[in-house]
Amino acid sequence: MSAFIPLLTTLLPVLYGLAVAGYVRIYVAEPGPDQETFGHHWAPLMLRAAVVTHLLYLTSRGIVEGHLPLASVYDFLSATGLSLAAVYWFLELRQGIRTTGVFVLPLVLLIQIVSSAYGAEAPTLKPQLQPIWFELHTLTAVLGYGAFAVSAIYGILFLLLYHDIKANRMTFFFRRMPPLETLGRMNVSAAGAGLLLLGLAILMGVGWARLAGVSLLSDPKTWLTVGAWMVLGFAVLAYYRLGWRGPRAVYASLAGFTTLLLSRVATDFLHSFHTFR
Amino acid sequence: MAAAPSSLDLFCVGLNHETSPLAVRDALVLDDEEVGRALHALRERGGVTEALILSTCNRTEVYARGTAIENPQAFVAALLREIKGMDLTGKEGRFLYTYREPDSLRHLFRVACGLDSQVLGEPQITGQVKDALSLAVKLGGSGPVIERLLDAALRSAKRARTETLVGRGPVSSAYAGVNLAAKVLGSLADKRVLLVGAGEMASLAARHFQEAGVTQFMVANRGRERAELFAATIGARVVTLEAIPVVLAGADVVVSATASPAPIIAEAAVRNAMRIRKNRPLLFLDLAVPRDVEPSIARLPNVFLHDLDALGMLVAQSLAQRHAEIPKVEAIIEEELARFLRWHRSLALKPTVAAFRSHFERVAREEMERHKGRFRPEDQAALDQLVHGIVQKLLHRPTTRLTRAGEENAEGIARIDAIRDLFGIEGAGGGAAGDGDADAGEGDADAHRNPR
Repeated sequence: MSAFIPLLTTLLPVLYGLAVAGYVRIYVAEPGPDQETFGHHWAPLMLRAAVVTHLLYLTSRGIVEGHLPLASVYDFLSATGLSLAAVYWFLELRQGIRTTGVFVLPLVLLIQIVSSAYGAEAPTLKPQLQPIWFELHTLTAVLGYGAFAVSAIYGILFLLLYHDIKANRMTFFFRRMPPLETLGRMNVSAAGAGLLLLGLAILMGVGWARLAGVSLLSDPKTWLTVGAWMVLGFAVLAYYRLGWRGPRAVYASLAGFTTLLLSRVATDFLHSFHTFR
Repeated sequence: MAAAPSSLDLFCVGLNHETSPLAVRDALVLDDEEVGRALHALRERGGVTEALILSTCNRTEVYARGTAIENPQAFVAALLREIKGMDLTGKEGRFLYTYREPDSLRHLFRVACGLDSQVLGEPQITGQVKDALSLAVKLGGSGPVIERLLDAALRSAKRARTETLVGRGPVSSAYAGVNLAAKVLGSLADKRVLLVGAGEMASLAARHFQEAGVTQFMVANRGRERAELFAATIGARVVTLEAIPVVLAGADVVVSATASPAPIIAEAAVRNAMRIRKNRPLLFLDLAVPRDVEPSIARLPNVFLHDLDALGMLVAQSLAQRHAEIPKVEAIIEEELARFLRWHRSLALKPTVAAFRSHFERVAREEMERHKGRFRPEDQAALDQLVHGIVQKLLHRPTTRLTRAGEENAEGIARIDAIRDLFGIEGAGGGAAGDGDADAGEGDADAHRNPR
């Protein structure tokens, strides 16, 4: 199986690259009368192939290395890429919108190119990352980050389209985007998925810390992550319960995502348990 | 027995929105009874074999087949004067145009595809062409060639609609407004539309919103009676102009098209409505000149205001896109026209092919008859079958090649004449195109006849 991994490592960027080419074509080509272009068929097919191959790749790595492949920054990147692609795929299936793939999948491609190019050697897992609960905590957190990133992308697309419509700018972008209401729903759906995953990650992290006797109270990353989770939770709640629509709801979700990014930066610049150095 | 080129002898005389003013077009719209009279006159007095009349608010056109009429334009002008009392023979003759083959064929296809319409690519004309054909069939004016021609033209129209974008995008401000509403709000099925005004523009907008799935309407108008009449046609609730600030909160789209000299929807009312509706998006389509809605509301979050200028931009984009599709539609027309002409050329072959086959069958039959006494009666049926089979096999390749060559070009017709000469086939209709059912079975002796 270990001989199989280099092949998958190379294959992944190729498949994502083909998917990106397909989604670019879908975006660029004006829709025909039947709304279908060649790209409408093979781009989702390539995306499915890429996601399945990605899962296969991470599973193979897990079996060969004896732990979840989340031991290096490149592994994190790869898992985040998978999360982005999978959440996008899920939203595409739910909404039937394919013109937005071009804004999500190039990011996945870039992430996977970096991961495939520099993450060839399997690192040794640091002792503090070894317990399964911690591994699951990391996995759900990474998947949550991916979902929030997709949510943020849809949030930005929403704001761009919102301002185009308000200003009567009937641009190509305006023509190719789904309705504003749909973009808002995609933004909040992805945020909802991220909220669930990050919530699980926080719970598992707290549970593991109690078992391991580690205090997280003084860890800035913990507080920032919990803060981000609450902001994002409020954004999702405001959409579904308070009927918030439009830029206000989107700004709330973007604020949550920004806090989440800050929590990641905090890990590098502040004294944090999550530094793992 | 010289080979004549395949011709339908189809001419078209008519006028349309480009050549004549509305008053003239209006005066020349023919009803069914008048179309019947015109078709009858064309056949009886003009000696045409088939005819079709297309009469809509934007065009009146006469398509007819025949060579007996020396000056089709003068004939049609006289016919229209007789039926509608309008003289188009003198100076007004400039309103009329005349097309002869192949332009007459191409023009019909362009008309059916909406390329000759006032609003490029509009779909109604296809239905009107269909109706004209049905009427001609009912009144006995058309025949197999015009029917087949119309089939081809309508097929082009269908392909143009499904394979190109010539019929896509809004071409009116009201329709552009509906598209914009869908762009902001997504599905419109559960949305509520407030129509301010009860005139033509509001009515047009209501119709487009209904087509988009909207079922909940409110109508506000200065005149209560007119509002109620309009509301009854779309199942709307009537409110007064004074109630607009109150009902705004419950609407998702506001279409305003009144003749009010001053704005009737103020920023304060919209601000208040947005507070009540918890800032849910609210779209204003201001179709009035001067404007009905205070422009300052556009600054409010989640309030979208679009006036005629903005909607006009959408219409212009859509028309530009439609214009860009013209070459694609023309390519479809050429393809379908070529297919039709191949079929028409094949008509010339049918009598020859039938005579050719009949000639061989007759020789075989005569020989069988001559040698009948040499075979046992019980073998007769098997022998008949054997001879028939040999004849069929011998003729299969020549007749197939003959048909194909004839459909391809005029040289094929010359080849047919050579065959006729070679085998001494007489009286089978000549090389020129005969009319009739192209599906008439090959080998059918009746196919000798010229259907006309």
